[in-house]
Amino acid sequence: MLATKEDRGVKVAAWAAEATGRTNPDFAGLTFPTSRDERWRYTRASNMLGRAMHPATAPGSAPAQRPLPNLDAHRLVFVDGHFMAALSTGVTLDGAYIGTWGESIKANPGLLKTWGRGAFADKEWFAALQAEGSQDGACIYVPKGVDISSKPIVVEHHLSGAGIAAHPRNIVCLEAGAKAEVLLWTSASAEADGLMNLAFDARVDEKAELKLEFVQDEAGQSAHVSHLHLTQAADSKIEVHTATARAHWLRNDLHIEQIGERANATFHGCFAPGDGQFTDHHTRIDHAMPDGTSSELYKGLAFKGGKAVFNGKIKVHQDAQRIEAFQKNSNILLERGATIYAKPELEIYADDVRCSHGCTTGQFDEEAVFYLRSRGMPEAAARRLLTQAFMAESIVGLRPEAREHVEALFLERIHA
Amino acid sequence: MLKITNLHARIGDTEILRGLNLEIATGEVHAVMGPNGSGKSTLASILAGRDDYEVTQGSIEFNGVDLLGLDATERAVAGIFLAFQYPVEIPGVSNMNFLRTAIGSIREQKGQDPISAKDFLAKVKRCAQLVELDGKLRDRSVNEGFSGGEKKRNEIFQMAMLEPMFAVLDETDSGLDIDALRIVSAGVNAMRDEKRSFLVITHYQRLLDHIVPDRVHVLAAGQIVRSGGKELALELEEKGYDWVKEAV
Repeated sequence: MLATKEDRGVKVAAWAAEATGRTNPDFAGLTFPTSRDERWRYTRASNMLGRAMHPATAPGSAPAQRPLPNLDAHRLVFVDGHFMAALSTGVTLDGAYIGTWGESIKANPGLLKTWGRGAFADKEWFAALQAEGSQDGACIYVPKGVDISSKPIVVEHHLSGAGIAAHPRNIVCLEAGAKAEVLLWTSASAEADGLMNLAFDARVDEKAELKLEFVQDEAGQSAHVSHLHLTQAADSKIEVHTATARAHWLRNDLHIEQIGERANATFHGCFAPGDGQFTDHHTRIDHAMPDGTSSELYKGLAFKGGKAVFNGKIKVHQDAQRIEAFQKNSNILLERGATIYAKPELEIYADDVRCSHGCTTGQFDEEAVFYLRSRGMPEAAARRLLTQAFMAESIVGLRPEAREHVEALFLERIHA
Repeated sequence: MLKITNLHARIGDTEILRGLNLEIATGEVHAVMGPNGSGKSTLASILAGRDDYEVTQGSIEFNGVDLLGLDATERAVAGIFLAFQYPVEIPGVSNMNFLRTAIGSIREQKGQDPISAKDFLAKVKRCAQLVELDGKLRDRSVNEGFSGGEKKRNEIFQMAMLEPMFAVLDETDSGLDIDALRIVSAGVNAMRDEKRSFLVITHYQRLLDHIVPDRVHVLAAGQIVRSGGKELALELEEKGYDWVKEAV
């Protein structure tokens, strides 16, 4: 029997209270997303409500090895929303701060006011949940003119076990002319069945440059919701490379706002859900000022029983003359019983702009498979080679170590 | 090397080969000519192991092995090569990566050690010279943006790299200008030896001026209706295919 709206509201409130560890989380009037919400049309989040989960009072165990162990990097490790100081190498360097959000707001409570509850918290129910349950995460501050990009910062968030909801909050602030590279990495143990509900806010000032790689490699049955919001000032440059290498159920919201002139953004992503897996990438770029550029490329593969959603919104504001925005989304359904919902969304209010987009969903060219087989490759090897070729341009922006890791996870889903 | 006996094959409900017999000895070059729709490309596809065709009757023996019992990959490993009439473009896979993977696969299935990088590169250089394939084409994605002639040269380049025992050239001359025809033919001729056999499928006689066959067969309505020496090709050129059709 269907529950009434009131019953459902009570159930959601009780679940949210437990998941955030707060008696009365404030959702500012937002309701739990259902398929009636356009942005959640193909994304069913309600299964989560059937699983009890709560924030961990203390961290569980971290993975034995750090991701990309041979990479020379600063490392910030968080398990179940708690900072693992012994595994981390946060530093202050040339005036830059690589540390935790928790320490930062203790030292400077004003930061909380500056950064608020996060850009999505008054729009998205899960972002409000994040704001209410907010836990520790990375805080990276690079002062004016300082370049720390030669050594990347790996921010690792791990979910250690069953019944845990984590809500890490991450902040990056690059002042004018500053440069940094951040690699955000989420993982989960095989037992994990809760929620990784992550927020990442970045402010990139004039002429600053941020490269963000985001690798999602989560075993187990946990859900993942992330809220990434980046604002960029004049002449700044942002690169975001997202790879959903492995996820049971994932929703990723990426929002880039160009609030200064001549800003440049590149954002690429890839996903390849296997049987029983679901990934949803919602991206949005706001060209609010003139002469900005953006280049977006998302590629998806879906295996039998896998389901994916891609929604790419480009909004060109009235004053954003002479911007150039490019979006491409290509998808391959590898087998029968695979599903991909793809939707480009362009809203253009300026008249002198160059916007282009292309969206395709198809299957592997069987003639190509035969061609490769006729040259001696077994069918699985042929399909692997074609998969690599298809995904290549969407992961080329990841550093080689990360690219190899992601590619290996995709390829292991291909059987003979 | 190859013995085809009473081969019947169809695609869907359409019967295309209707009792084809053909025997090719080791070291020989045979040509199969015939009008459009006679079954030439079907024969090539069946030899290479394309799944679209159903063999309803007959047998193909390749060096004593039942070829129809092998899939496309196994046939390539056994030493069969098909030069495609329409080579496939594979964006994102470089020619070099493609060939390295193919050679690696074949050697692995044969239980041989992988080829060394040095030997591989030396072989690439040697084989590319054979068909005048320059470095740029070697490094590009497989056939992507290649002209018709470049695609066919790339097929012969691959053949030289894979060193098959038996190669089927499916209308390799189609879409070639005179220079490309000369280059492709020279590549094939350089590979002729007493251990390797070829089946050259063509609509026109002109290819056979360059690749001179030991035997010529005329295929019409799914059967070999006439066989002879290389002079048969000239006779066909002169008289056209109509008299063949009448003979059926």
